[in-house]
Amino acid sequence: MMETYYYSQFNHAVVHVALFDDVTNSTAIRSRIIQAARILGVDGDTEREAINFAFIDARLISSLLHLQTAIYQALLSEAQGQLRTKTIHSEILWALNPTNNITEAIRRYGVSDASTTLIVIRVDVSNILDVQRRMCDIVQGSMVTFEALKQMTDWSTIKKHYKLDAEPALKEVQGKQDRERAIVNNIIVSSVAMKNVVA
Amino acid sequence: MSPTQQLLQNADLISQGAEAKVYKAYLRQLPTSGQARNAASDSPDHEVLEPVLLKYRFHKQYRHPSLDTSLTRQRIAGESRALMRCMKSGVNVPGIRMVDANEGVLGIEWIEGKSVRQLLPGGAELEDINELEEMDEVDDTDATDALAEYGVSRDALMDMIGVEIAKMHSSDVIHGDLTTSNMMLKKKTRDLVLIDFGLAYYSTLVEDKAVDLYVLERAFASTHPDSEPLFSGVLAAYEKRTGKNWVPIKRRLDDVRLRGRKRSMVG
Repeated sequence: MMETYYYSQFNHAVVHVALFDDVTNSTAIRSRIIQAARILGVDGDTEREAINFAFIDARLISSLLHLQTAIYQALLSEAQGQLRTKTIHSEILWALNPTNNITEAIRRYGVSDASTTLIVIRVDVSNILDVQRRMCDIVQGSMVTFEALKQMTDWSTIKKHYKLDAEPALKEVQGKQDRERAIVNNIIVSSVAMKNVVA
Repeated sequence: MSPTQQLLQNADLISQGAEAKVYKAYLRQLPTSGQARNAASDSPDHEVLEPVLLKYRFHKQYRHPSLDTSLTRQRIAGESRALMRCMKSGVNVPGIRMVDANEGVLGIEWIEGKSVRQLLPGGAELEDINELEEMDEVDDTDATDALAEYGVSRDALMDMIGVEIAKMHSSDVIHGDLTTSNMMLKKKTRDLVLIDFGLAYYSTLVEDKAVDLYVLERAFASTHPDSEPLFSGVLAAYEKRTGKNWVPIKRRLDDVRLRGRKRSMVG
């Protein structure tokens, strides 16, 4: 169920992504991330490595392509030494948000107390053995296939964040839900891809 | 070597112009069998990767390097913005998949299909370097057959062209290089897709829209013999879609036909 992507052009980077449904401990995950930043010494390093993942609220993700596009642009920024945030994982969140505000990106797209669906991402330089187990250790919920993403996406919030309600493309297909979603998906995937030239 | 240069190295060159090279590429790879096992991953082995089209604006030796970098960056930003503006206005254009402004690469959705040029009589002459070997076989009947294979009549195709250009102009995007090579019929959906926004710009001027149409009219006339009725079909659909804004554009198009694309700067 976990998906793995291979990028030879980025020093053979390997990216693992997994989708969780019925997540019950998002509050705990969130405070664990915040706590980890404060622990000093070796313990701190161990804990930071244990939660070294991107946690994304699945409601704001419209498709796997949306996610993959953000991952690609984050990998590119890292390779060029142009990360706008501290890590590649937070860079993925930044890439997903239409504005340049990092705090807003994390608040909107990161794990919040209300998250019940989560996407967990790990970007690595090589394949590590127990990623899936490590993800499951952190998240209390059930890992599901990305087929389930369709039922989780909150289209009206996505349209609000990207201010798409008044666009002629959407007015033209009013009432045709599938067409509208395909158009919204195409617009936001493209926005993520071109963010670094308009920002 | 930079990631994007590596990507280009593993990509297939499709065509080359003065400004850019165009490639077909894949942004990631499927696992080699050893890797998949190690990852304990359930990614389906039958997974099919979607290709992308990469437009690489290579370095121009005749320009100062810093000017070259900033011009390339601006043009990629401009092309992306024009595509986005079209998308938001409901014009069929390829989606954007990857942008590396530092290296001069724009990655867009791969459109499987044929260019309108290939679908009309007279347009079958070589267009891409890959078509070189097919040269002897092509003649006009091929174009007609190809169109029939798509289940689209020639009139319907002209109608679709007119509608897409009208939608684009109503969102004040000027394509800048309308030719039958820069329009494709998408195999899967039978949609007409406008491509290559490398010369596109934003303008509300009637003049710019009229010149855009005139450029297409000239392209039809020079590529496809006896194309007057075809282009009339395009204009009829454009008129219908444009509504009350048609009259000034029509009037200006008549002027442009008399004087040509360039407006006289005398006086």
